[in-house]
Amino acid sequence: MAQLIDFPVKAATRAGNALVEPLRAAWPIHSVDDFGRDPHLIAALAPFTRLRWNVTVGGESHLPVRTGALLVCNSRRFSLSAIYAALALSEVCDRPVRFVGRPDSAPVGPLMRRLGGLLAQPSDILGALRHHELVMVSADGTSHPRHAGEVPHELIGPAMVAGVPVFPVATMSSTIGRAARVEVGPQVRPRRKRRGPLAEVELAEQVQHHLQKMLDTFGGVRTGVAPIDWLAEG
Amino acid sequence: MRGQRVLVSGMGGELGSLVAAKLEAEPWVGALVGIDVDPPRRRLRKAEFHLLQPSQRERIVDVVTKFNPHVVINLSVWEPDARTGLVHARQFTADATTAIIGAAAECPALESMVVRSGIEVYGRERNAPTRPDETSPVHPTSEYGLMLANIERQAREVGRRVGIAVGKLRLAPVLGKHVPSPLGRLLRQPAVPFSMLADSPFAVIEDGDAAQAFVAAAARRLDEPINIVAPGAITTLQSILRGKRIPLPLFGPEWWVASRLSHVLGAPIPDHVVELMHRGRLADGSKAHEVLGLQPRLSTPEVIDHLYAWESVVRIGSINEAVA
Repeated sequence: MAQLIDFPVKAATRAGNALVEPLRAAWPIHSVDDFGRDPHLIAALAPFTRLRWNVTVGGESHLPVRTGALLVCNSRRFSLSAIYAALALSEVCDRPVRFVGRPDSAPVGPLMRRLGGLLAQPSDILGALRHHELVMVSADGTSHPRHAGEVPHELIGPAMVAGVPVFPVATMSSTIGRAARVEVGPQVRPRRKRRGPLAEVELAEQVQHHLQKMLDTFGGVRTGVAPIDWLAEG
Repeated sequence: MRGQRVLVSGMGGELGSLVAAKLEAEPWVGALVGIDVDPPRRRLRKAEFHLLQPSQRERIVDVVTKFNPHVVINLSVWEPDARTGLVHARQFTADATTAIIGAAAECPALESMVVRSGIEVYGRERNAPTRPDETSPVHPTSEYGLMLANIERQAREVGRRVGIAVGKLRLAPVLGKHVPSPLGRLLRQPAVPFSMLADSPFAVIEDGDAAQAFVAAAARRLDEPINIVAPGAITTLQSILRGKRIPLPLFGPEWWVASRLSHVLGAPIPDHVVELMHRGRLADGSKAHEVLGLQPRLSTPEVIDHLYAWESVVRIGSINEAVA
């Protein structure tokens, strides 16, 4: 009797195995972390992201190796700067960098969660910072690539609560080309000690100021010396 | 603190039996009494058991007040579609909660109460925290979540009125060899539906780890909510692939048909499981380690592996027909 009951299950399992085996070979069966980030999906999508962005990263030595930190990047509208910057920094630092601002509706929200996206909610950011994660927040989007938008102070607040450092990250990308640059600046320290919410408001303003300064001195989307420059120098 | 009297409501369930077995081994436990609608599922040496229905309030009050416990552990929670349907689950849970928590409040020796809750209390509405911790607001969005939030509310009110410590253990979906779970049952079906558009991650907890958390909470007189979650996360598709089941991708409206069909086939899918598959269910379990010193033995993927490793039919040897 037990064998009779077992029969359809065994047959179905065998059919399932045959169907799923190619998928299992291509796709690791456990690959999400505590926040739902999927490193294997990111690795699988890497050729496509490289097709869009060829990112040059600088200043990553400013970032802590083990502890958490809040990174704030500037953002040109529709440039997805937080995403390419987070992915590029993850690769360079060899530890996940999560970006803030995923939507919470399918299918985009869940896909961005698998790429390391968090909701633009202070509680989500605080949760990640408390677990020593690197979290990337975007300043408000601007139409000009060299303008740093306003930094939302309510998203800076979790860094104050968790007691983690804040770093400005200047980003620049070409609208049509693949070239993109990500430059991490030194830690922004609050000018004065505040006990109340003014601390985060002032820190957000300072970060915006730092970002603007970095963007003002930023070269183009490429780094290094172009052949034409050699000619000019020669 | 030796010789403490401990009452376990819901001792007949798998989790309750495990908690009772672990409490028997604790040096601080003097006497142990259990109440449930089913007898305990393991051999208990010290515990005294009372077979009582949740509706028998007067008898429950009588047993509890006579025992006059120092600690009450309330595990009388019926998860919808685990052992019974939603209507009965709601009724039994409400009756048991009122009777047990109400009776406990009448006991002069009572010092602490630990109640079973779940991470379903956080809800999964739009923009709800991805990985809520204990400070996140309670905002259930499923029937089971509402039931659990109601238990927490009643326990909190009694705790405030009587002046006792009330610990609330918010468990991730509990999976174990003999734990009736709609999620576990669904994942073990030959073909398992999953949300193609979302396939969100979730976390679970093994029944042994959950039981250990209750014992630790009772011993420490816990007086706050704590998430009990195994480390790591997994998505439904990853679970299906681990279990070598047939993945059945669904996009939206056909979920209704799939859940009805699954019900007919013996694995009903309640709304909190649908919510888990669509919106995910994670929680921050780090406080359990800080406060209770609890380090779950198994991670979420390991619990899922164990789920698939359990035999559907356990053969206990051949029957000698000549003797029969």
